[in-house]
Amino acid sequence: MAPRRLEGKRCLVTGGSRGLGRALCEAFAHHGARVAFTYSRNQHDADDARAALQAAGCEPLVFHGSVADSAHVQATVAALGSAWGGIDVLVNNAGVQQILPIALLEEADWDSVMDVNVKGTYLFSRAVLKLMIRARGGHILNIGSFASERVIEAPVHYAAAKSALRGFTEALAREVGRYRIQVNMLSPGLLDVGLAQMLPRHRIQEYLAQGSMGRLGQARELAEIAAFMVSDDNTFMTAAKIVADGGL
Amino acid sequence: MTGRLIHSTTSLCRSCKNAVAASVFARDDGTVWMHKRCAVHGAQEVQLSSSADWYQRTRAVRPRRVAPATIKQPIEHGCPFDCGPCESHAQKIRLPVVTITSACNLDCPICYVHNKNDDAYNMARADFEKIVAHLQTDHGGELDIINLTGGEPTLHPHLPELIELARAHGIHRVTVCSNGVRLAKDEALVARLAALGARVALSFDTFEADADVALQGANLLATKLRCLELLDEHGVDTTLIPVMTRGVNQHEVGRIIEFGLQRSCVRHLEIHTMTFTGQSGASFDRAGRISMYEVLQEIERTTAGLLRPDDFVPSPCAHPLCYQIAYLLVDPAGGPPVPFTRFLSRDEIYDALSDRLYLEPTARLEDAMRGAIDRLWAEGGPEAERTLGLLRGLLAAMFPSERPISRAEALAAGERAVKAIYVHSHMDEDTFDTERAVDCCDSNCYPDGSSIPVCNYNVLYRDKEAHFNQTPQPWSAREGGQRTFPARAHVLPVLR
Repeated sequence: MAPRRLEGKRCLVTGGSRGLGRALCEAFAHHGARVAFTYSRNQHDADDARAALQAAGCEPLVFHGSVADSAHVQATVAALGSAWGGIDVLVNNAGVQQILPIALLEEADWDSVMDVNVKGTYLFSRAVLKLMIRARGGHILNIGSFASERVIEAPVHYAAAKSALRGFTEALAREVGRYRIQVNMLSPGLLDVGLAQMLPRHRIQEYLAQGSMGRLGQARELAEIAAFMVSDDNTFMTAAKIVADGGL
Repeated sequence: MTGRLIHSTTSLCRSCKNAVAASVFARDDGTVWMHKRCAVHGAQEVQLSSSADWYQRTRAVRPRRVAPATIKQPIEHGCPFDCGPCESHAQKIRLPVVTITSACNLDCPICYVHNKNDDAYNMARADFEKIVAHLQTDHGGELDIINLTGGEPTLHPHLPELIELARAHGIHRVTVCSNGVRLAKDEALVARLAALGARVALSFDTFEADADVALQGANLLATKLRCLELLDEHGVDTTLIPVMTRGVNQHEVGRIIEFGLQRSCVRHLEIHTMTFTGQSGASFDRAGRISMYEVLQEIERTTAGLLRPDDFVPSPCAHPLCYQIAYLLVDPAGGPPVPFTRFLSRDEIYDALSDRLYLEPTARLEDAMRGAIDRLWAEGGPEAERTLGLLRGLLAAMFPSERPISRAEALAAGERAVKAIYVHSHMDEDTFDTERAVDCCDSNCYPDGSSIPVCNYNVLYRDKEAHFNQTPQPWSAREGGQRTFPARAHVLPVLR
């Protein structure tokens, strides 16, 4: 039987109602964690995710709002502080993808992607860190993307946002390492959920042709890697970036 | 006969349908005519185009040929008598047509098929599955489209099951030709088609009562409009198919196009030029003949220049004189649609279409669109801002940031934002040109994997099939004459 790496851990996943976020919630629950997630848009997806977690024996706490809204962030973290007495794991997964060439990329698009992908990560990390510093420990995991790795064309605002998270991860890890708080980044390749569902076939084929594994990643595979990265089994890795893209 | 020879080809005698040598001339008045002589039935001529310049420019475009994956017939008698496909056929099937029923609930004066309502033929599911399997094999497992026709396909007792089967095989577009009569009365069937993701190709020839009677033998406008209401309501992707006939409805083409562009369910319009084949079409007044270029001119005239002949490009998958295609970006704010030729060159559109009869989000198209966006943005020009806004809307519809959608949903979203106008010119025995026939990409398909290009089928093969005729004609029979093949009695593929 696989080890339950997160027994009793209090885990918050932003953007946890679908795609990789949902897979993270389910994997964490499977590893014995208490799970909370946020979602911003689709109530139906959130209900589905909640039901799936309940079926797996986990009663999730669910929060509705945008990660770029500081009031929502403060309220969510305060509620979790009251309910759980602290937060052991934060996964900054919420993100927005927008396929636009630079010619069509308006300032509002730039701001929107930066708000959700970068500012949201900053807001949640800062709010949760108060609890983690008090507890002298914790894990923050930021979800990056192969889009920032120079191996494939990607919309510039999305690539810039994911690259920003790398700097954020490294700097924050250095700053809060003294409190035994580990900050890492997991950069998935193209997965069987999310963007790959709607990309034209030639884009998928291009990806598969470049990858050593010759297939798309599975969300649950990434979730297992994440479960290790935020667990007590990860005793020495911080400020690290793990790229799981099938060998691009 | 005076004029300049453009090319020589093989055609058919209009009486006996035997193969005859033919010459295509440009006359001094700029028109294009085919001249031919049958040893038995004498000299014959027919106008092919009103513009020699357009005809020659268009014919000079070489189709991108991809040979059929499977050859079923050796060359014995020569095109079009060896279908098929035979060893001389140059193009694989891009639009597979499956005639699933002989039953029809109309008797249109322009009908180019043969219907049989007594003891009607309805294709068995097993036969349909064989056809799908053959087509998928021949297309490397991925098929853009399959077109179910008849008769009236909605009268097939198991139509939903056939569609389901095709969808289960991953065919991108399953289209059902229909006159709309049953659909207008049977909302449950429309709902079922919607649920199955089927598309409807609805014949829609006119808004005028006299023309309706002349073309369809009845006043069907209210029925067609009711059908479209239901298709809209249930979100069924729809193609409108008007048949243009000189002196009857040619003046309505612009109105029909504008009507189609405004209906949310309509994705494409496929305008046919009248062809004189089939149970009724063969005897329709041939003064109604209209050429491809005349239809393009009529489109320009009746749409106030929204679309010009140069906005149409030939399909690379067919002979250039058979298919002309224009794509338009639709403006959700109600502004005039923008033809692709206003931001892409004709060569770019032709290249983007080179693999397919229907536009798909291929690497070529993506590359061309990105170039167009950069040019519009960097260099500006009339309508650049509005066009960029429309292209942005297209991207947002196909790749929404709020929530991933499936590839099929993305394709459908793209087709709501980009509508296509096809002008498709079929041939009859008068206009038959084997040069066009060998590049045909539309074929009637059979369970044994054989297929017959549709014009060849309409002119020579359809009336020989027992499934569709109370009294099928023997192979040697020709209207007005006979020809007996010495080597063997030709057996139609469907009877093998």
